[in-house]
Amino acid sequence: MSEMTTVRPELTEAALEAAPPGRLKDDPILITFGMLKTFGGIRAVDIDHLEIERGTITAIIGPNGAGKTTLFNLLTGFDRPDQGSWRLDGRPLGGLPPHRIARLGMVRTFQLTKSLSRLTVLENMAVAAQTQRGERLERALLRWLWLPEEERVMTRAVELLERFGIEHMADEQAGTLSGGQRKLLEMARALMADPELVMLDEPTAGVNPALTESLLEHIRNLNAEGVTIVFVEHNMDVVMDISDWVVVMAQGRILTEGAPEEVVANEEVIDAYLGRAREAVDEAVEEAEGEEGDG
Amino acid sequence: MEFDVIFGNAARAGLGPQAAIFALAAIGLNLHFGYAGLLNFGQVGFMMLGAYGTAIMVATWGGSLWLGIPFGLGLCVAFALALGIPTLRLRSDYFAITTIAAAEILRLLIRSSPATDITGGPFGLQAIANSFYDLNFLPDGRFGIGTFSYSSNQLWVMIVAWVLVVLCSALVLGLIKSPWGRVVRAIREDEDAVLSLGKNTVAYKLQALAIGGVIGGLAGVIDVLQQSGVGSENFEPQVTFFAWAALILGGLATTVGPVVGAVLFWFLREGVESFIRELSAENWLPNVLADFLDGAEGAISVVLMGIGLVGLMALRPQGIFGRRRNLHLGT
Repeated sequence: MSEMTTVRPELTEAALEAAPPGRLKDDPILITFGMLKTFGGIRAVDIDHLEIERGTITAIIGPNGAGKTTLFNLLTGFDRPDQGSWRLDGRPLGGLPPHRIARLGMVRTFQLTKSLSRLTVLENMAVAAQTQRGERLERALLRWLWLPEEERVMTRAVELLERFGIEHMADEQAGTLSGGQRKLLEMARALMADPELVMLDEPTAGVNPALTESLLEHIRNLNAEGVTIVFVEHNMDVVMDISDWVVVMAQGRILTEGAPEEVVANEEVIDAYLGRAREAVDEAVEEAEGEEGDG
Repeated sequence: MEFDVIFGNAARAGLGPQAAIFALAAIGLNLHFGYAGLLNFGQVGFMMLGAYGTAIMVATWGGSLWLGIPFGLGLCVAFALALGIPTLRLRSDYFAITTIAAAEILRLLIRSSPATDITGGPFGLQAIANSFYDLNFLPDGRFGIGTFSYSSNQLWVMIVAWVLVVLCSALVLGLIKSPWGRVVRAIREDEDAVLSLGKNTVAYKLQALAIGGVIGGLAGVIDVLQQSGVGSENFEPQVTFFAWAALILGGLATTVGPVVGAVLFWFLREGVESFIRELSAENWLPNVLADFLDGAEGAISVVLMGIGLVGLMALRPQGIFGRRRNLHLGT
């Protein structure tokens, strides 16, 4: 266990001075305390404090293995932290299963899109609508109880599909969509759930530049409507383009956070850090392998 | 060669109570796997509970048959919960293994000697369905022509069984066309995606398991009514796989697939068996082959059915009514 702390790079303190992580926000929608998740001795996520400001677009960046997706999984209930607590709008989420967290207004998407292949695009959308009467088994056969609501759901689904430009695919099975269309569908579907906070895990991964532009436009529009957005991104151009706030993660920790310009101003810190981080990880791996050999 | 005899036998099996029993079992499996994506290899366990619940209420406890049937179906719901609550949170392969083991454990328990006082152990239970046949309004005698004929009581069971098949098919269709069914089919495609949209997927899977299990339990009830008795030898694991064969033959995730599949399965199985018997009787087979086949017509028929299914999977993997395109849409 003692070796774990040494994995942390020396540059952290310089970075801390430049822009201390865990900054307090004026009106945080999400507050996280002492979040820790270990995978067999590796501290995949180890965050003392993180707040997300309501109504902003926050980017989470960092090298591969920095713990960004693990953090997403923890916050949305898909994985359980070893310790830690977090609150959405003041409501503690610790121990809640993922569907309960989604119902409270934090809806996520996945790095690899999860379209429901053998359902139509329209059905994909309809599944996301919240608290539908007809989704209760005891009412499923009583059509007259849910038919009016179903019509409202379908109208809203079509509206959203139109907005995302895939309404012409509404009656096709989602498995026939192209990769980019699936990204659009997944984002539209997340919206269908009426979230307050949307967590997008690499929304532009594997998407061509034109579609990336359109996805970013959708994110901006959403944000303009008051939805808070947190997204993981590798493309720095995208990050600079749309985010109000940038959180830099590395080796499970928050290295620094700040406005995009602030983070850019510390570019040499990040560059140096990314270089150092590789070395530190390599060293840690070598150490671990050495220990295995000894043990 | 008496083709009318062969065809008569085949048709009698294809429309008879056995086919209806397997149609019900396959309708339940279709809800489990075709729609909810639950790999249930223990459907026979549900059939067994439906059958034994009914039989124990009547033969052991002296209760009414009309109390026994809901009791048996209630046991099916309990079995679904006992099976599903610990395993449905895990990956689907764990659930699949648990179902086949649970059904076999149940059968061995039922036929064990300590259970003899309740279940009749290896002897089973008899004289259960009298009050069911009291309701038979059909005149005595045989109905049909040639080998395609049924006794009055057989026909009575068949009418009830096929009405249940239609009702259960309609029930599953109605459920699947509802928003509830949409969530269930979505879970089949990707459970994490559905969780992320705020649906309690485990609850939906449990509900689907229980409903499909109760439909399987109805198959067991029909079996008890048909034989007016019950024995554990009727509930060996192959019963589950015959139901699977019927379902895949007809087509997964279709309304008529499991029913047509079950009819065809029994029609072909009995037809092939009769055909082999006729071949032997007419001395059309070389002696070596005829001696080999003698008394094994049923087994050979199952072997040929298996080969036929392999061929079907090669030529039409989606079954008779399935949509081929669905096979290529990876989840």
